[in-house]
Amino acid sequence: MKKKLVSLAISSILVSPAFANTLSNPQIGVVLDGYYQNGERNNSERSEGFGLGHTEISMSANIDDKFHGVLTTVLETHGDETELLLEEAFIQTLTMPYGFNIRGGRFLSDFGYMNNQHMHSDSFVERPVAYRTFLGSHYYDDGLRANLVLPTDMYVKLGVEALSGSKMSAVDDATAVGVYTTTLKIGDDFSESSSWQFGLSYLRNENGKVNNFEEHDHSTDGHDEHDHSHASAVTGSNLYGADFVWKWAPNGNYKYSNFTLSAEYMLLDDIVDSKFKGEKNAPDTLAAYYVSGVYRFTPSWSAGLRYSDAESYEGHVHHGSTQPHLTSLNDSEIDAMVAWDSSHFGTVRAQYTRVENQDKATDNVFTLQYVMTFGAHGAHAF
Amino acid sequence: MRFKNSTLFVTVSAVMLSAPALALNIFVCEPEWKALLAAHAPKATIYSATTALQDPHYVQARPSLIAKMRQADMAMCSGAELEVGWLPMLQARSSNPAVQNNKQSMLYASEIVSMLDTHHHVDRSMGDIHAYGNPHVQFAANDMIRISRVVSKRLESIDPANAFSYLVNGVKFREHWRQKLVEWEQRAEPLRGIQVVSYHETYRYLFDWLGMEQIADLEPKPGISPTTAHLQSLTRLDPASFDAIIYSSHQNKRAANWLHQQTDKPVIQLPLTVSKGQTLDELYDQILDDLLRVLAQPQPVKG
Ligand SMILES: [Zn+2]
Repeated sequence: MKKKLVSLAISSILVSPAFANTLSNPQIGVVLDGYYQNGERNNSERSEGFGLGHTEISMSANIDDKFHGVLTTVLETHGDETELLLEEAFIQTLTMPYGFNIRGGRFLSDFGYMNNQHMHSDSFVERPVAYRTFLGSHYYDDGLRANLVLPTDMYVKLGVEALSGSKMSAVDDATAVGVYTTTLKIGDDFSESSSWQFGLSYLRNENGKVNNFEEHDHSTDGHDEHDHSHASAVTGSNLYGADFVWKWAPNGNYKYSNFTLSAEYMLLDDIVDSKFKGEKNAPDTLAAYYVSGVYRFTPSWSAGLRYSDAESYEGHVHHGSTQPHLTSLNDSEIDAMVAWDSSHFGTVRAQYTRVENQDKATDNVFTLQYVMTFGAHGAHAF
Repeated sequence: MRFKNSTLFVTVSAVMLSAPALALNIFVCEPEWKALLAAHAPKATIYSATTALQDPHYVQARPSLIAKMRQADMAMCSGAELEVGWLPMLQARSSNPAVQNNKQSMLYASEIVSMLDTHHHVDRSMGDIHAYGNPHVQFAANDMIRISRVVSKRLESIDPANAFSYLVNGVKFREHWRQKLVEWEQRAEPLRGIQVVSYHETYRYLFDWLGMEQIADLEPKPGISPTTAHLQSLTRLDPASFDAIIYSSHQNKRAANWLHQQTDKPVIQLPLTVSKGQTLDELYDQILDDLLRVLAQPQPVKG
């Protein structure tokens, strides 16, 4: 009898709101990312030698029963400089009816497959060159998002975003709301062992069309002027994206082995003002894509291959001239990586990249990287 | 007296169940909760995110699960961070108010069970440890009655039109469970004091209930896969100090087999959870059968 009373008392403590509070308020997590690299990739945030990559401090909590909040700051070093970036600072609704979901503040855009995923969950040292060229590695911005998940057995999600677009602006007098995106995601299981997701994205950039090229003096052209701005290298009025991901694990048990195949294709158009249309090498459309396969063969070892390609261009005017000098560029990269997970929270990765550069030079880049997290570790998206 | 009561309940429930009912849509993280809920809400459509062959720590927040979560009127999971790698993502992506934390319709078994192995201090160097206690609560046999009571109450408040049937099914479940508990405890008598080497504290509640003891783990630390060095250290265990090696159907059998070769101790593979269509008490029966077959002297079959 006495024993029963005691256990009842314990259970009422466990279900009390006080216990629930300690579960969720607030979650603090840190991601440490360090590397050594023997070369550089184009449009990259990582420079040669020892460096720190995406070092992240993140806090999140349910604000009340209606809102969830997330704050993520990123510290990056580039040579002697250390940058503090605010990557995410948003609130999100929890209890809207009909599958609606509103997010406001600064957040990673839903464009494409990989963009809204956190960098520390990536399987390779850097985002594919397609992302680095068209989306500035990962595109986050200030704005508003509305998502709708349909009540269907097949996963169908529709989303729209309105964003400031300042990181994607090609003009000086940019409009206040520069970027609008629309996304459609569908997905389901092929079987107990395999699942898929397909997405279509459209990004409208009101300020994406280049109407003016800066003056450029060839004599001071040096390769050491790396401005690691987190803006995209090329922009246009319209960016279209299609993405596909397929994941497989025996019986759906992901612990021991699994395989992920993902691919994205992006097409940029309406890139330069009509006054440049007749110019030599004036880009009409630019395309970029990647295909990546990662196989985990034990709980602690995985290996992956990725191919990525991105078209771009460079333009400038010479002193005293109004006619731009335009050059077509192309980057392609093959990455091969092997990663060892000491646990779910620590990864050491070796990656070799064969770079086919813009000037047709071939480069071999070798990176040794660690990505480790402590504190709260958020759940990962599919 | 008890007999009369239950007959009355069954009669009344038969009448009530014939009323047109809104079929609840229920999402569960693990199959054991599907079995439990099916006993309380037999008309509900219940979808389990995992199968008996999957490790619930490692699940993908895949599109099909988001779609199921979106349509759920109610969800039930083990909790205590067992599903921390994927459930929060499903809750957020599904945009379904009914499955958010602190809702009547979002139920965590570990918040009802008296948790074992709660830690005041948790550090990741201890492995992927669950601070709120061992979350593998499907074998907390004595707590199942309390879970059933909470499940009945929640179902009643979510779907008041069928409240009476939930009440009746709950009473039936608990009465049956009480009988089974007596039967199981009698059958399991030979298992008391048995010492085993197991994998990942999966059966912590089972061993606690049956008076068995896990003296070593095939995992060096929770969530860390068995290493050669760690397995070597296990071969130095006094062979007299344990009776069997136990692992679960979703776990890799290599480590268990290796230790078996070194020590000649029997290996027992136990189910992690119910298989398709199995009820919760059938799972417990099966586990006892599997354990007794290896660990108890054959008993003469009673009349
Ligand atoms: Zn566990």
